[in-house]
Amino acid sequence: MKRLLPSLRPRKRYLAIELISEDTTTRGELTREIYFAACSLLGDVSVSECDIKVLGFENGLGIIQCAHTKLSETRAALAVLTQVNRKRATVHVLGVSGTVKGATEKFLEGRVAFSINPLSLKP
Amino acid sequence: MVKREFYDFGVHPAPEGENSPEELVALAKHLGYSGLAFVPHSDKLSPGLPFIPSDGDFEVFKCIRGIELVEENPSKLHGLIGKFRKKVDVLAVHGGSEKVNRAAVENSGVDILNHPSPEMGRGLNQVLAKAAGENEVAIGLSLSALLYSRGFRRVRLLSEYRATLELARKYEVSIVLSSDAMSCFDLRAPREMAAIAELFGMEEDEALASLSTVPTGILARNRPSAGYVRPGVEVVEGFEEGIEEGIEEGIEEGIEEGELP
Repeated sequence: MKRLLPSLRPRKRYLAIELISEDTTTRGELTREIYFAACSLLGDVSVSECDIKVLGFENGLGIIQCAHTKLSETRAALAVLTQVNRKRATVHVLGVSGTVKGATEKFLEGRVAFSINPLSLKP
Repeated sequence: MVKREFYDFGVHPAPEGENSPEELVALAKHLGYSGLAFVPHSDKLSPGLPFIPSDGDFEVFKCIRGIELVEENPSKLHGLIGKFRKKVDVLAVHGGSEKVNRAAVENSGVDILNHPSPEMGRGLNQVLAKAAGENEVAIGLSLSALLYSRGFRRVRLLSEYRATLELARKYEVSIVLSSDAMSCFDLRAPREMAAIAELFGMEEDEALASLSTVPTGILARNRPSAGYVRPGVEVVEGFEEGIEEGIEEGIEEGIEEGELP
């Protein structure tokens, strides 16, 4: 298959994210919840325009791709995510970059995801 | 470019909320806030105002004492405003009924009228908006309601916020975006808050201002700085020296004048 010319490829933004959660989460679960939150907030049509993809997610840190013109919609969709796998969770956008490499080097390398002290969560 | 300072002026700490002020502060610092205002609902106060961690680093991270008054009776509300005005730096009123909204916007002791519209069409109108503009009462929009509602309710809420925003723009009323957080999981980073606000028609700059300059303005009004002299007059530099010199000059002048026949 012929690859699309670089000038014809759609432009993207890559969001370095951190998941602040009560429990550990896998990439699949996070992807499902992000799509659910986004579709509920923006609707299927807008989400298809946003081109949201979870490119990688490990140990609470990950990279999410979106269309470069739809950055604020994507941020809003990530912000309204309130739970993953029935455990409360919050997505925190650490930074935005035009390349995966940039996002990883600038925002993710050497970082440990923020965790809320689990003992204090008990009522 | 000057780095903005962001504030969240609607956080409910334990015992009303779930997390202690310390935990909320730790997370808010991580999310990039410069300060939090703790505004417990007045009907759920444990005896006295809750403990606020201050530990002397107010310049680094501002923990602001506040309260959100819940009272259905307007005259009692005015009484409560008088009672708490001197004790707190941020005084919010839990809006709802027409009477309460009206009482809140007509009292210049109020800083923020929070969520004035629980139901469609019963919120802000031009009379209230005008009064709010004259008395410098900001309108608080809480975003946690948008996070936790779905479908029909969220649609109504978004259109209600849109209508409030248009009135506020017309009558030059400030808007404060707050999380209204009951736990750590309700806090969102400033940019995310702005992104949610853009959904109901706020411009990005406008949204960021309502998280930074509007709260700073409220704070400056209620917490005079060290060089405060009177409204609009402030000694910015050489505060102590300036005053001493002024006094000395005054004394010398006085003596000279006294010597004159």
